[in-house]
Amino acid sequence: MKNSLRWTNFLKNLSIYLILSLFALIMIFPFLVMFTTSLKSASDTFRFPPRLLPREALSMEVAGFAEPLPLYYVDVDGAEREYVLIEKNVRVGVYAPADDLAAEQVRELALVKPTGGESNPQSLLIAGKQEPLYDIEVAGQITPMIQVRRTALGRFADPENLDRTVLQNLRLSQPVDRLTAHPENYQDVISLHSMDRSLTNTALVTIIVVLGQLSTSILGGYAFARLRFPGRNQLFLIYLGTIMIPFVVLITPLYQLMVQIGWVDTLAALTLPWIFTAYGTFLMRQFFISIPLEIEEAAVLDGANRFQILRRIFLPASTPALATLATFTFLYAWNSFFWPLVVINTGNAESRVLTLALSVLGGRAADSPNLVLAGASIAILPPLFIYILGQRFFVESSTSSGVKG
Amino acid sequence: MTPRDTFRFSLQLLLLWHGILAAAAAIGAYLAATQAFDLPNWAHTLLAILLGLSMAASAGAAWWLWRRDRRGRNLSLILNYLLFVALLLLWFQSFNFYLGINSLANTFGRGVPFLLLLLIGYVVGAQADRFEQKPARARFFTRAGKYIALIGALFFLYAVGILAGLQSFLARFSSLQALALTLLLALLALMLWLAWRPGVAQALSARNSDEEMLYGLLFLSPNLLGFLLFFAGPLLLSLYTSFTDWDAFGTRNWIGLANYGEIFGLTFANLQSPTQLAREVIDITRFDELARLNLFGKHILVGAEDKLFWTALRNTLLFVLLAVPLSVVPALLLANTLNAKIRGMSLFRAIYFVPTIAAVVGVALIWRWLYNSTVGWINYIIAAIIGWINGLAGAELLSDPAIGWLSDTRVALLAVVIIASWQWLGFNTVLFLAGLQGIPKSLYEAATVDGAGSLAKFLRVTVPLLAPTTFFVLTTTTIQAMQLFDQVFVLTTPPGGPGTSTTTIVLYLYQSGFREFRQGYASAIAWVLFLLIFGLTLVQFQRQRAGADA
Repeated sequence: MKNSLRWTNFLKNLSIYLILSLFALIMIFPFLVMFTTSLKSASDTFRFPPRLLPREALSMEVAGFAEPLPLYYVDVDGAEREYVLIEKNVRVGVYAPADDLAAEQVRELALVKPTGGESNPQSLLIAGKQEPLYDIEVAGQITPMIQVRRTALGRFADPENLDRTVLQNLRLSQPVDRLTAHPENYQDVISLHSMDRSLTNTALVTIIVVLGQLSTSILGGYAFARLRFPGRNQLFLIYLGTIMIPFVVLITPLYQLMVQIGWVDTLAALTLPWIFTAYGTFLMRQFFISIPLEIEEAAVLDGANRFQILRRIFLPASTPALATLATFTFLYAWNSFFWPLVVINTGNAESRVLTLALSVLGGRAADSPNLVLAGASIAILPPLFIYILGQRFFVESSTSSGVKG
Repeated sequence: MTPRDTFRFSLQLLLLWHGILAAAAAIGAYLAATQAFDLPNWAHTLLAILLGLSMAASAGAAWWLWRRDRRGRNLSLILNYLLFVALLLLWFQSFNFYLGINSLANTFGRGVPFLLLLLIGYVVGAQADRFEQKPARARFFTRAGKYIALIGALFFLYAVGILAGLQSFLARFSSLQALALTLLLALLALMLWLAWRPGVAQALSARNSDEEMLYGLLFLSPNLLGFLLFFAGPLLLSLYTSFTDWDAFGTRNWIGLANYGEIFGLTFANLQSPTQLAREVIDITRFDELARLNLFGKHILVGAEDKLFWTALRNTLLFVLLAVPLSVVPALLLANTLNAKIRGMSLFRAIYFVPTIAAVVGVALIWRWLYNSTVGWINYIIAAIIGWINGLAGAELLSDPAIGWLSDTRVALLAVVIIASWQWLGFNTVLFLAGLQGIPKSLYEAATVDGAGSLAKFLRVTVPLLAPTTFFVLTTTTIQAMQLFDQVFVLTTPPGGPGTSTTTIVLYLYQSGFREFRQGYASAIAWVLFLLIFGLTLVQFQRQRAGADA
């Protein structure tokens, strides 16, 4: 009885872990592909079947050849061997006896001689057509055969003994490869598409937006939570009402405003309109309201002014709310795309942020996915790195924003 | 001079200032009203109104100050502060301060290594906490940390070119305009200081509530001014623009509801036969055929003035209908599974959250590669699974579909749905998990005592108690889904393609407003979208309410 219970529990846990791991794999796999593909060479990315890790074909120095020769897996009498490719387009014919077309033999065109010699070539009438006959040697015995078709094969040789050669279809042969990495993709994408400038721009914009939003939200939230002035509650209701309004409603007039004050195509347009948000003010107000009044009153009696109260009492107490707001603002500023697309000229590398540069890169370098995904890594890895450092912080702050809000 | 005399002198100065200011504002308002400046029409009107208001406020402040009324001080402070901020912004603009962000980006990279010094300084300073018993050593660490950070900051400023910046800043002072602006700013600051002094407040018998109001307005001002300038103002302008034919460059004409009429313009016509040509029954210079309906044997042709809008609306709603359940239902189940007391829960939670933090643009590029129809992973995995099934069955049960994810009009939208659901799933899971952890364990124990199975517990305890979280998750996901843009723009070429199979409302808005530059029309689309979102949220809110009451 007890044993069977333990057994079902084990099965239950196992199935739970299987489901959770499957979803974890689904969540992580695209990022793995991104990172490993960004380290591949261009030709490696288009190999089928797709493989996760970057590989490169091996080659070998062989005496008598100037260039190193590529190694392939070839089939020698049923065994798999590693041979070097010594000749690419070897023209061959496929021959078969007229009475048994299934018994095909492959021979090099240059080595096959017509039956009866050059002077007296013999042929056979098949289906109203004269088919020339050729002498083909099979296991020491010469048989006249007709040519079924022609094709081209690769000539592979044993690197230890170049006389031992095999003909095999080059396209279907698997090259011998080993794991490799091409970190120079990152250098290429940075120098070709000035991603370094975009990274700087994004970092700068993010820093300004986060610091700006934190300070205006703290001040505004404190005013809404603790300071009485005429029209405060009505104003707060208006703030609250605007949280639901989607950004796209503002996009045309904001663009016009930027045109009027000459900020189109500048980083100012990406930062200054975003350092005031109703959402952040709301978040901070909700948090400040939960701080007990008594502490503040004591400080007022001690003669502290409002700035001192805010700095000494409210700020240290509201680290969780600040972390939440900073987290969200950081992600929003780092990943925003629509507004930069509208207000920044995508060709202008000076003011381009990462997301814009990435979208341009996706269009221009569509044929080199390794470069595109190296670019994507540059945009995704920094927040990911920060996330790994402060994982608990991120996840917990997202929940506090959501459910308490 | 006794303190009393000083305050009397301050008051007289303030009075004088407000008299001059009122007169200057009156002249300025008159000039603006007669359009004396080199500004567009609307700017003249705005300037005249603002200056008129300043004149009235300044005169009022002067009057109250004359009567020794404490309200005079409040009004004077508010007016002078607003003027100060306005002039400061103008001052920044005339010194090209805002565009300086771009120059900062030029040199920012050079300064980054010195930011490390700041970090080291912080770490060194934090060591002080370890020596609470030895104050001398703690003080040493605090001080050392501070100096290291200071040196780092100085080097950073030097590296990003603070000297060159200062130089160009000072060079601008040579213009008369800049000098005048600076002088005016200094004068305003002086007046603010005069009125703010506690002595003046006492002389005018200001109350505590006055101080609180002034502090409240001061604290709210950066936020409120930004809100008015970058949110409320544009919002009203957007509503106005939606009633005009603005093309972003030339004039704009009031055209009433014509934009909305074009968006919603539909026509219906009876058809003789299901295959009758559209041009025989509707005016095809105005309408495009949208759909053919069969209502109880009666064939009706629907024509739309703007067919693309309806296509975009259909795509968006279809997307919402697919992506919202796909990112919410699995999230609920996953959260429920994760909520079981198992080891490694926080690790899984952390992994599920990863897509949330990644840039949508980057994610779309990754998936574009995964979706590649010949060498992409997704088709490879599908082919492998089908091969495996066929192998099990020992027959060709299924054939490899080789789906052209981004080139086939039938599946392109589905491809977008998959990406979006994948990216939103983790965030929703985390939200649900937080909601689940708020449900008291005792309820589950009571249910167990009553003999409820795990399914019954899920349906009878979890689902009802999770309703507020579910409402929040559903609403935010729907709002997000209605505004789908980034994914489509990056994933499909041309954006919205193939054909118009993935054109969404926001994408259509972008194309009308910033490709064809029909900004009035784009604004109208934006308001329609807002009303749609508002309506959907309201419906969900009502349903949640009804559920809570039942």
